[in-house]
Amino acid sequence: MKSSYCLFVWYFAVLVCCVLASCSEIPPVIPESNETTPSDDLTNQQRQVLIEEFTGVRCVNCPAGSAFIQDLLSLHGERLVAVSIHAGEFSHPYNDSQYNFQTPQGDQILNYVGQPFGYPSAVINRKLFNGEAILQLGKGSWAGYIEQEKAHPPVVKIGITPSWQANARTLTANITVLVEETVSDEDIRLTVLLTEDGIVDVQLTPKGKDPDYVHRHVFRTTLTPALGESLGNVLVVGSELNRSYTYQLPNGWNEANCYLVAFVHRAGASKEVLQAHEVALIE
Amino acid sequence: MLTCEPMGNWPFYFRFLPIKLQQIRCFYKRWLQCIAYMALYWAFLYPVQVVAQQRGMLSGNLEANGNFFIRDTLIGAGNTPQYDYQLYGADAWLNLVYACSGDFEAAVRFDLFQNSNLLNPTGSYTDQGIGRWYLRKQIGKLDLTGGYIYDQIGSGIVFRAYEERPLAIDNALYGLRLAYQLSPNWQIRAFTGRQKQQFDAYASSIRAMAIDGFWTSDSSSLTLVPGIGMVSRTIDDASVNLLTAELATYEEADRFVPHYNTYAVSLYNTLTAGPVVWYVEGAWKSADVMFDPFAPRITSNGDTLVGKYYSADGAVIYSSFSYAQGKLGLTIEGKYTEHFEFRTRPQESANRGLINYLPPMTRVNTYRLTARYNAATQFLGEYAWQADFRYAHSRKLQFNFNISNLTTLEQELLYRELVAEMTYKYKRQWQLIAGIQRQQYNQEVYEVKPGVPLVQTITPYFDFLYKLSRRKAIRVEGQYMATQQDYGSWAFALLEWTWAPHWAFTISDMYNVQPQKTFDAAGNPLPIHYPRIDVYYTQGPNRFSISYVKQVEGVVCSGGICRLEPAFSGVKVTVNSSF
Repeated sequence: MKSSYCLFVWYFAVLVCCVLASCSEIPPVIPESNETTPSDDLTNQQRQVLIEEFTGVRCVNCPAGSAFIQDLLSLHGERLVAVSIHAGEFSHPYNDSQYNFQTPQGDQILNYVGQPFGYPSAVINRKLFNGEAILQLGKGSWAGYIEQEKAHPPVVKIGITPSWQANARTLTANITVLVEETVSDEDIRLTVLLTEDGIVDVQLTPKGKDPDYVHRHVFRTTLTPALGESLGNVLVVGSELNRSYTYQLPNGWNEANCYLVAFVHRAGASKEVLQAHEVALIE
Repeated sequence: MLTCEPMGNWPFYFRFLPIKLQQIRCFYKRWLQCIAYMALYWAFLYPVQVVAQQRGMLSGNLEANGNFFIRDTLIGAGNTPQYDYQLYGADAWLNLVYACSGDFEAAVRFDLFQNSNLLNPTGSYTDQGIGRWYLRKQIGKLDLTGGYIYDQIGSGIVFRAYEERPLAIDNALYGLRLAYQLSPNWQIRAFTGRQKQQFDAYASSIRAMAIDGFWTSDSSSLTLVPGIGMVSRTIDDASVNLLTAELATYEEADRFVPHYNTYAVSLYNTLTAGPVVWYVEGAWKSADVMFDPFAPRITSNGDTLVGKYYSADGAVIYSSFSYAQGKLGLTIEGKYTEHFEFRTRPQESANRGLINYLPPMTRVNTYRLTARYNAATQFLGEYAWQADFRYAHSRKLQFNFNISNLTTLEQELLYRELVAEMTYKYKRQWQLIAGIQRQQYNQEVYEVKPGVPLVQTITPYFDFLYKLSRRKAIRVEGQYMATQQDYGSWAFALLEWTWAPHWAFTISDMYNVQPQKTFDAAGNPLPIHYPRIDVYYTQGPNRFSISYVKQVEGVVCSGGICRLEPAFSGVKVTVNSSF
């Protein structure tokens, strides 16, 4: 018995030495925010990252995700473009909801990028990052992937020139795509969509239903087809592509709080967004 | 007096025996049969087996599940690709193992997922390929394995690589394992690799060592099975970069510098002395990054967010004591857990990327309603204990009492269960199991549903089995769950007809007696039936089943690890086979 325990202690000592060897390490460095304000000048446009948050008025944990996106927006400024898409199992409006934020286009986009493991969830640049099983990401990963995506220079740049005819409640969006590097893929597309900010309506929160909840960046519709309009399969460096879209705003949408979002993205095996840009409908 | 069949019913080879032998009385008949069979075996089958051993032996199994989805938005079976347009899904695992001479083994497993909602209950996953392979060779005292390895240290508190298909868990270690027999009673193991992630592997690296021993007293009345294991994980660069970028958004008070490496050590022993078995394990983990979904943090905007990363040392103490003698059986278990979530990278959540496993402290319930609410093991903090008492009054009458109590480290109740059950057997003719269960279930924590009340249930149940003949039996189950929370009260009934050895049929219905979540167009409570019909056919090692199922959403657990099971409406087909 005694010899067995001596043996055990000896083995234990060897084990500790083997596994704990070189256990001191140089720790990682937490980066400091070095945000620069992007210029309106298309030539000097920096990489802008798209975050599509999937949410719903019945999603009790989603307000935490939305609040985190506001925090990220305050850090990244205009280099982060946020869209909140009400789709999926928690998005059915309540009986006392004033609005139905669900849209067929939102459902289409959700089916296209895939269902999340849980909520809150968002897709960043529609990119499948290394080590991830799906495009949908929990909020613990958002900040890191946004930072990672910002580090890449834009291969295309996007200009949006909106115009608004108040009488007809019609908007026109002139989109310019400037190609900085040649891109080829099975299909490259442009999606233009409309969001409305600051809508007050019911939302389930951890404290119960909040009738005065302020919904941010609510996805309203796409001006292109929901999954984008094809720009071809090759964008050659130096090219400039122009597209124009018009849309009549339904009554009840507050044009003063509406934003136009445009992004160029791959639409083959990869769905990656190459560049995103956002402007207010009415400056 | 022994009776004897006519010679015509004897085995055919008896016909070739001399007439005198045909007249042997039946007393010798069985002996002759035995001798004849043995002669045949030694003459024909034994040489075949020897050759087979030399050449190797192929064995394996198949598990295949097919789901045909029928949309039913009333029960929540809808708004997923499977119900909306895919309509069909399948999961299958075909495992083949080739073993040769007892010291070499090669295995390969083909995995298939088609429109599968196993990985993501609301999503659709399609892929197929080699889900597992390994090569194992014994060289003297050294045993080496390369490929996808399943193994564990102690009870798994610091390391467990395992597979649990219904929960979509396959935590195999993709790497190398060496085991060396130091002495007849002492073995050392070492393994290193990366954790499996579907058909790929996570980037973080894992290494571990363990020593296991065995000691017995001269009288063999006392045995000790001690062991120690250590595990270390290095988080990959990309995951650390992700983490630091996230931490950069934190205010100073919440910010910390994470470590690449985390170490965990576990010391364990099983003592057996007569009717007593006592297992104890203590584990410690160095500072590791974990995500607390309930911890608040203030953002730079002044908003309060719930959920944040933090770093802390962790510890677990677990012990299990059991006593069984005569008519009595007693098991008492206790576990203290503090900051012991150990994942391949901190960004993973739910059942993904878990390196370790914490033993559950609750009863394994098998009936539909008693198993509706399950306590998932809390890795970040938990006080848990369980006591199970069994008393066999006679061979006919047995009693079982079970109590379990789980709280957070702040003494907030997580789960409490009381079960009293009796089993009565009458002359192998019929058997009755009857019991009552009382549960308190913290749905807010277990299902991350802020603001929902504690679910409290009382569930009486019975299970009556009546054997009509040696092959035919009928079984009836009945349960009633009384609760004011969640979906409200339920009733469940099941009728099962077994016709051995091939057929089994079941029909059951689960009925939401006092619905609290389903309403008709006028806003009135809408009771819903969840019927199920199953047909099982077994032919030797092959088993087939087809089921029509309407199933309410719930949480499915195995060993304290749980997964949300979405509502299901449709037809399920399964095929299981082993060879």
